[in-house]
Amino acid sequence: MDVHARDPADRIKQLQHCINDLISVLALPAMWSGGEPSRIVQTLLDALLRMLQLDLVYVRLKETGGQTPIEIVRFAQSQQDIAQPHEIGEILEGWLGANPQEWPLLMRNTLGDRDISIVPLGLGLQGEIGVIVAGSGRSDFPQQTERLILSVAANQASIGLQEARLRSEQKRVASELDQRVAQRTTELAVANEELRKEIANRKHAEDDLRSSEEKHRVIVETANDAVVSMDETGAILIANPATRRIFGYDPIEIIGKPLTMLMPEMMRKLHENGFKRYLATGKRHLNWQGIELTAQRKDGQEFAVEVSFGELTSDGHKLFTGFIRDISERKRAEDQLRASERNLQMTQAELARVSRLTAMGELTASIAHEVNQPLTAVINNGSACLRLLANRNLEPEVLRRALEGIVADGTRASAVLARIRAFIKKEPADKNPLDINEVIQEMLVLAGHELYESQVVVDQQLTTDLPFVLADRVQLQQVLLNLIMNAIEALASVINRPRLLLVQSRINESRDVLVEVSDSGTGFDLEIDRVFNPFFTTKAKGMGMGLSISRSLVESHGGQLWATPNSPHGAVFSFTLPAIEGTAS
Amino acid sequence: MTNAPVVFVVDDDQSVRSSLKFLLSTVGLHVESFDSADAFLRKNLPDSPSCLVLDVRLPGLSGLDFQRELGARKINIPIVFLTGHGDIPMSVRAMKAGAVEFLTKPFRDQDLLDAVRIALERDRTRREHEKEVLILQQRFDSLTSREREVISLVVSGMLNKQIADQLGTAESTVKVQRSRALEKMHAESLVDMVRMIEKLNGPSGRLR
Ligand SMILES: Nc1ncnc2c1ncn2[C@@H]1O[C@H](COP(=O)(O)OP(=O)(O)OP(=O)(O)O)[C@@H](O)[C@H]1O
Ligand SMILES: [Mg+2]
Repeated sequence: MDVHARDPADRIKQLQHCINDLISVLALPAMWSGGEPSRIVQTLLDALLRMLQLDLVYVRLKETGGQTPIEIVRFAQSQQDIAQPHEIGEILEGWLGANPQEWPLLMRNTLGDRDISIVPLGLGLQGEIGVIVAGSGRSDFPQQTERLILSVAANQASIGLQEARLRSEQKRVASELDQRVAQRTTELAVANEELRKEIANRKHAEDDLRSSEEKHRVIVETANDAVVSMDETGAILIANPATRRIFGYDPIEIIGKPLTMLMPEMMRKLHENGFKRYLATGKRHLNWQGIELTAQRKDGQEFAVEVSFGELTSDGHKLFTGFIRDISERKRAEDQLRASERNLQMTQAELARVSRLTAMGELTASIAHEVNQPLTAVINNGSACLRLLANRNLEPEVLRRALEGIVADGTRASAVLARIRAFIKKEPADKNPLDINEVIQEMLVLAGHELYESQVVVDQQLTTDLPFVLADRVQLQQVLLNLIMNAIEALASVINRPRLLLVQSRINESRDVLVEVSDSGTGFDLEIDRVFNPFFTTKAKGMGMGLSISRSLVESHGGQLWATPNSPHGAVFSFTLPAIEGTAS
Repeated sequence: MTNAPVVFVVDDDQSVRSSLKFLLSTVGLHVESFDSADAFLRKNLPDSPSCLVLDVRLPGLSGLDFQRELGARKINIPIVFLTGHGDIPMSVRAMKAGAVEFLTKPFRDQDLLDAVRIALERDRTRREHEKEVLILQQRFDSLTSREREVISLVVSGMLNKQIADQLGTAESTVKVQRSRALEKMHAESLVDMVRMIEKLNGPSGRLR
């Protein structure tokens, strides 16, 4: 474009050009619409370079919103690559300050070998977007129209760049937002997932906790054992309902109080020392699983307990829990069992002593049967209980039944012994008026079992209205029983004739009371009187003392005891006792 | 095969009976008790090792008479006798008649348990032996009369030729009958066969 036209026709042409250029510049935004800043700048530069026939056009865009600064330079064909954009930028740096208002309208410099005029224009109202610089070697540069076009172009570019920036900023923000959203979304998803898991876990844990808490609570609440927890200071923290039954304390009464209140006085110091020692050293001075101790009830009564301890550390604090079982019943049962056994041993010893003392082996054998039956049952039951106790396998109900049996049989045995003792007294003779028939009958009853066993037929011919005798009842019983037992033994080997025992009582010629015990047994071989010798016996288990003792007993009553052969078989033993004058039963 | 062992207790004293049952039960033994010999005899005995704990002084039938009665009925149950007081002649007689033990009441629990254990073991062995004999008996019954003849002669130590002569047959026939008999008896050798025949001739066998 020839900008130096002087004539009106030229001027009109010139203006015509200018208007065309302006239209082109105004059309520029349509070309770069929606484009990137770099593309806008390039389009602008190319358009200006061509329209204004410039030697160079340079744009620098300031960095904004994280975008790197852009420096672009275009040269006319002839000046290709005469300088690098940053070299131009460095030259401009010295001239163009921060405020576009203060920029020179025109600058002169050399480009290559030519002097050129340079026009700087700010992009954006305050030059905040950047700067556009147009340079030409023509001397009349810039003409007014050229300045107009440049400034309009700069404005257009500013708007376009502004928009582009806005768009890119929006895009950036949008994508950043998208990214952030996406990131947040994944974060959230992960978090959600974690949360879900955590919730599930927590719920699980809570369920577990609830059910185990529930379980524990139920166990503790309904336990037969007292469950008592204490802290490091020895104060009770928790006590379950069984505590009331076992100790007599309401749980509320003892919470916060020292555990030692559940112990007897003498145990307290011991416990405190032991507990202190444990806290200090961690050394247990007693077994924590099932130790037998003595406890004290609210009413002061002491009783046996079996205690197991557990320790729990929570928040650095130690919690001790004791499971306390009342074993006083068991202890009592064990004591009873031991007592029964001791009793039994004593009974047996007594029996042995009695049996030795009386020197009536066969009598005691008969009585022994009576005593041995219950004793056998007692020993069997006791042994069975001891076996089960040793295996810790004894149910209270079983134990109770066995003990009841033991008690019943013990009573039975002692009743038999009482009967024996009644007629084998160790005291000196205690003479009283007696009805001899009564004593005879008693003894036949006592020997009843033996008589029955030996299939002996008993005949009693007792004279009624006999006078009383002055005698020691027990000693008389002893004499009679010995005679009866001897008769039974003499009948035992009899097989081919009836086994007969006849007991008679009557008054003899000397007005004494006479008792005869006759049998159909083996009888005597030779010298009859030998049978009264101490230690004469023909029996495996006999002592040979029965008749000798009996004779001395009868004689100590002023009577006599003798033996005669029976007819056709057997023996007759007779004894007399002086009658008390003027008495009759 | 073997059922749980059973201990039969016969004692007229109720306390003794139940205490025996309790004691024996502590070692896991099954106990059935009776108050008289008759009550026990009315009971069908199970096919399992068993023994009898018996009071000597029983009303009605005495313990020793009862033992005799059981023998007469071919009831081979081992007996542990209990008595109220040691009676030496009686215990000697009982032991001679095959009692396992004779315990004086009251006895140590271990003594009773030991005696019962021995008695049950004895019964178990006897039962096993009886079963074995029964099987042998069945095999022996499956022999022909000629095979039995041959076998009894073989066992008596005769040679095939002698047997053939005595029975009036060929030696080869005797050989065949002899090997067939061994096969039927499941005898691995002649020695094995002799042992089997001895068992069959023994106390629980039928051969005489
Ligand atoms: N009823 C009788 N018939 C036949 N012999 C008799 C009779 N009573 C006693 N004897 C004989 O007299 C012996 C002595 O009798 P005794 O009562 O003194 O002692 P034991 O009966 O032998 O022993 P224990 O001191 O236990 O009584 C007997 O061993 C027996 O041989
Ligand atoms: Mg005597």
